Amino acid sequence: MKALVTGANGFLGRRVVLALLARGFEVRAMVRPATRLDQLDWPASVEIFRADLRTSLDLKRAFEGVDVLLHLAAVVSGGEDAQFSGTVVGTERLLDAMAATRCRRLVLCSSFSVYDYGATHRILDENSPLHQLPDIYARDGYTISKWWQERVTRRHAAKHGWDLTVLRPGFIWGPDHSYLAALGQQFGRHHLVIGPMTRIPMTHVENCADVFAIAATSDKARGQTLNVIDGQGERIWSYLSDHMRGSGAPGWRLPIPYRLAISIVRLAYLTGFRNATKVPSILIPNRLESRLKPLRFENRKLRETLNWSPPLDYAKCVERTYRPAQRPEVPVEPAPLPA
Amino acid sequence: MKVALIGAGQIARQHLACLKSLPDIEIAGISDLSPAAAEAAAERYGVSAWFTDHRAMLEKIRPDVVHITTPPTSHFRLARDSIDAAAHVLVEKPITSTLEELEILKGQAQRGGRHLIEDYNYVFNQAPQRILEMIETGEFGKVTHIEVLICLDIFGPDGFADPNVSHPALDLAGGAIADFLPHLASLAHRFVGAHRTAHSIWTKRRNSILPYDEFHAVIDAERGTASIGFSSNSQPDGFWLRVYGERMQATANLFETRLTLDGPRNVPKPLRSFFNGLDEGRTIRRAAFATLLRKFKGPGAYEGLWELLRRTYRALGDGSALPVTVNDILEVNQMIEALKPKEPK
Repeated sequence: MKALVTGANGFLGRRVVLALLARGFEVRAMVRPATRLDQLDWPASVEIFRADLRTSLDLKRAFEGVDVLLHLAAVVSGGEDAQFSGTVVGTERLLDAMAATRCRRLVLCSSFSVYDYGATHRILDENSPLHQLPDIYARDGYTISKWWQERVTRRHAAKHGWDLTVLRPGFIWGPDHSYLAALGQQFGRHHLVIGPMTRIPMTHVENCADVFAIAATSDKARGQTLNVIDGQGERIWSYLSDHMRGSGAPGWRLPIPYRLAISIVRLAYLTGFRNATKVPSILIPNRLESRLKPLRFENRKLRETLNWSPPLDYAKCVERTYRPAQRPEVPVEPAPLPA
Repeated sequence: MKVALIGAGQIARQHLACLKSLPDIEIAGISDLSPAAAEAAAERYGVSAWFTDHRAMLEKIRPDVVHITTPPTSHFRLARDSIDAAAHVLVEKPITSTLEELEILKGQAQRGGRHLIEDYNYVFNQAPQRILEMIETGEFGKVTHIEVLICLDIFGPDGFADPNVSHPALDLAGGAIADFLPHLASLAHRFVGAHRTAHSIWTKRRNSILPYDEFHAVIDAERGTASIGFSSNSQPDGFWLRVYGERMQATANLFETRLTLDGPRNVPKPLRSFFNGLDEGRTIRRAAFATLLRKFKGPGAYEGLWELLRRTYRALGDGSALPVTVNDILEVNQMIEALKPKEPK
């Protein structure tokens, strides 16, 4: 089978390419025109396709001989409009090109950010409510663009009768990406830890890549929406301890109960920030909730549908995150495919 | 008044947010080549119709006014179509890529009895407007000279220097800096009038995909002289306006709310600089708080766009003089034409 991976040189994408290779896929990796390839540890068998989803005119050619698209590309920096243009308009152009090809199978990398944390109580799983119109437009640029990306993809899949799998990873972590927005607010080397006992919906990048590779082949994944987290998640306080120890960046941690923090932010918002244009997202109640609301997170559907358990446990993930020099070059040994 | 908008990108959101706040305005349609961008903008601002073909929108909506907020090289074509559809047109800067295109648009608008407006938002920020009021009343004295200098880091990979996608502004003569020339020229024009002669220097200090990263010019104009510039290398970011009058001098940073004034003072001459310093310190402290508060409400640095739209729609409604006339636009763009690099890189 041949897979086309967009966003292939990104933090997750480069591991997805390796995970696909480990499962016997031929891989065509779509990277942006100016991407440097010398940092990527891919074998020569990976076919490189250079394109920018915002402007490239020849996206259809990327699908030649492709059986499945793994669409990971998203713009996660810059302003709201840059993110919308790169993520949503780019997806529109990619899927318009796919519609003119024989490729019918698609795995989308969505995000936990599409869930409405404010309307979710106790447990967040695939049945939890999503953001609704028009409230979605009060969210941050990343949330708006991921919500819209899923919307556009579902519309295209329904219109063309494609087999779509939507994977929604939680916080993806790994080497050079171990400080998570879920940890609260950083001030230099010091940390304001909001709700220190809250668990983080997290997935190590290699575990997450493994899920994408399985989903690309599994018949059971077709038509499914699956949250991708390794388990119930570590508590913020202990994860931050591991992060500070592992990254060798000491600092103070000031804990503050979540209820106290959200009450202060709500009060400030109601009295002053309601019409703010440039306020840190941690001072906006719905954005604070989506980063830090204490909920329980379940990956039961992922485990049951794909018969998946994370190849790396938390201790191994910590080791591979903070001691990359000792990290083996080969990807995670693939688990057997579900029957 | 029925309004339509073409181009649902970043600056469009400022137009739409302002239009929603104005009385007697119906935003009847939004058009963008991307269905998602058009639909998202329509949903966000409660607009009932969205389109991917601007001609279809013009035909169906028959708007009184069209806002064009697309990349610069598309302005001419879209403005022509909009005037053909009997609409007044408000175009983001730069209004056209060349002076010839502007002259064609001007003729077309005049023949059709339509108005053509270019967004000179910084002219309508509070600080320049305050100085203009003081000039009007005679308090400031006649302007002898004006300096406008934008210091802005435009090397970021998310903007003009994106190595993957050529920014639309790079198609203009002068590259990314040309996108800022209307701000510089419109301020110079408002304070000292149409240019008579202009001398510009375009240089490049840093290795990047930008054709130029420094621009500086001196202008001899009808009512005084101007020195304008754009520096991509000088930091921190700032938008400095200095106006020199016969009785007073003013300094403003248009990225903030800072405006300091220096004028006649009833103190002995040796104490002038002392009291000036105290006064200036007070003003800057007040401006620091005002700039902070501005982030918590309203349009921020886009306050001038909101003021320009408010005045424009008031004028269109009651038939009074527009805040930016077609003659202003022509003179500003003639100044820009004189400033452009002679040999485009």
